[in-house]
Amino acid sequence: MTRSQILANLHTSLASNRPWLESVANSAPHTIPPYVMPAADDLVEQFAAELRTIAGKVYVVADERAALNQIAALLAERPSPQIIAWDVEQIGLAGLPALLEAHGVTLAASDLHGASRSAHLQNMEPLAICISGVEAGIAESGSLVLRHGPGRPRLASLLAPCHIAILRRSQLVRGLGEALALLRNRYDEAIFTTTSNLTLITGPSRTADIEMTLSLGIHGPPEVHVILVG
Amino acid sequence: MPSQSISFYNRVATALDDTSLKTALSRATGRFVGNRAGALRALSDADGLRDTARAIRAGALAQLDTLLVQLAERVEARGGHVCWASDAAEAQHYIVNLAQARQVRSIVKSKSMASEEIHLNQALEAADLEVIETDLGEYIIQLAGETPSHILAPSIHKTREQVSDLFHQHLGVPPTDDIPTMTQTARRALRQRFLQADMGISGVNFGVADEGAVVIVENEGNARLSTSVPRIHVAIMGIERIVARMDDLGVMLQVLARSATGQKLSVYTSIINGPARPGEADGPEEFHLVLLDNGRSKMLGSQYAEALLCIRCGACLNACPVYQAIGGHAYGGVYSGPIGAVLTPILQPDLPDVHLLPQASSLCGACQEVCPVRIALPDLLLRHRADAVKAGKAHPIEQAAMSSYKRMMTNPFLYRAAGRAARNGSRLLGRKGRIRRLPPPLHPWSRERDFPTLPAKSFSEMWEEEPE
Repeated sequence: MTRSQILANLHTSLASNRPWLESVANSAPHTIPPYVMPAADDLVEQFAAELRTIAGKVYVVADERAALNQIAALLAERPSPQIIAWDVEQIGLAGLPALLEAHGVTLAASDLHGASRSAHLQNMEPLAICISGVEAGIAESGSLVLRHGPGRPRLASLLAPCHIAILRRSQLVRGLGEALALLRNRYDEAIFTTTSNLTLITGPSRTADIEMTLSLGIHGPPEVHVILVG
Repeated sequence: MPSQSISFYNRVATALDDTSLKTALSRATGRFVGNRAGALRALSDADGLRDTARAIRAGALAQLDTLLVQLAERVEARGGHVCWASDAAEAQHYIVNLAQARQVRSIVKSKSMASEEIHLNQALEAADLEVIETDLGEYIIQLAGETPSHILAPSIHKTREQVSDLFHQHLGVPPTDDIPTMTQTARRALRQRFLQADMGISGVNFGVADEGAVVIVENEGNARLSTSVPRIHVAIMGIERIVARMDDLGVMLQVLARSATGQKLSVYTSIINGPARPGEADGPEEFHLVLLDNGRSKMLGSQYAEALLCIRCGACLNACPVYQAIGGHAYGGVYSGPIGAVLTPILQPDLPDVHLLPQASSLCGACQEVCPVRIALPDLLLRHRADAVKAGKAHPIEQAAMSSYKRMMTNPFLYRAAGRAARNGSRLLGRKGRIRRLPPPLHPWSRERDFPTLPAKSFSEMWEEEPE
């Protein structure tokens, strides 16, 4: 009823204004640029510099062993019997299960759709660390692209005060346009077949709502640590 | 809301007398303006990007009927629900009924101007539902019982001392002047609200027709929590806030973040497609999209259609010398600044004095200059002024003055006579080349400045006397 009324109004309105709107639509190309800033030579350097200017931490490491050492150092500074994380096979770091076991750390149950919903949430709330993989990294904004889904909970980059993300050099793209094109090429029409959520993360949670003064970590993690491998 | 029952001129006078408001406004708008300019300078082709953003938005509006149907069908194909709401009452009704049917007790809300537009909180509270605003600025003004004064920074009119008092009073924490401490207080107070909420309500920055998705942009993480933890997610979207393709976000998200806060991208961009899929650990079991018309479908056919290109970045507020002086509350409606002066008379036509809002502009053009989709705001304000005159809403003295002015300017004899009278009059009133106080009804103009006396002869008289 309402639907047809709204659509009828739109038809009437567009009958008079569509030509004008189309002339504006045709006044510039709709091409999406792959990136929007002057191209940098080294994407690793650009990504690290961008993320650091917005208070993110970046560790550029040569290989998986060095990545695991870095994770071990972060775990040691924030002792936590459990962490909130993607399934280890989704993070794609072969030595991670052994490392967690060596530190006596287990993955918290994160399923919110069963009877233990409330228990799982209360159990996760005080935990210190979340760990996730990424789909891509965007060099010119220091952003991470996360494609959530089974084995890739959203809360594993959101709930705890310290978010550790594993990013491969090969996953870096220059700009947002390139990242969206990459998703399109990789999944075509099926981007959302198995997931309900894509998230871009650009630095730690922030607010300036009181006197325009910056504070980190209002609701999301105040710390974002990106371990850039390769 | 007291601000709506007082006349527009009184609200302006009160705002101008408020020195702490003035400090807060100049700090905030100054910062926003500087950050925006820096972010645009860093681009290879800022103007080209804005042209593309404008073209993408206009293209989406040109096929708004088909894109909305496509969006709704794709949301439903994923198991989501769509409510088409023609006005505030229908949207309120749908959300309140849904909450009651699902035995919802508490609701967390992330920032949504559309929900302010339909006064959703009042409707939910009237139905005995607890609703908590979770954006820090919105939370502060909810505690204070006020309304947002800026699209992006709803509490910029509050000082740190006022926030500390509010937290002390409502949360029982000791007073502090340390802003990060206040932020952590809010984090702790709101965290359990997220975990215990049955329903999360959010706005929508962009609907994406080809994927059936909604995009929510934020810096705090409260929108991610509101849309990931509770069992039910309700997203409220003005019907015009749509793009045809997900790829379009490659331009729109970048011009939005840069124009709004000067960030390259906002901290969190969530692209949400329906409820959680099987096997997903979190995300809502139910997803509801409320498509809010509330005057927009008719506005699309009017001479104000261009204002529907707006992506709510707030750049025109920050750039506007009137907004900088009076802030958001003086406008009386949900949307303030130049875009508010254009939208409010259409979206909230019943507010008293609403026809005066388009007068709150010097037509300097700063708003159009900074608009990421280049809306011709001064032109739209002029159209509103013309409409108000046609509707007989102009002040009788102003109308009389304008019609005599027209008569004088179109009659050479009257024009010369009036010029002579004004020159003679100004010499009588003036002293040493200045008039300290103009006669009524012009005297308010000279309250804070002098008016120069007019020269003895007009330009054409001097021209005629000038020897070759």
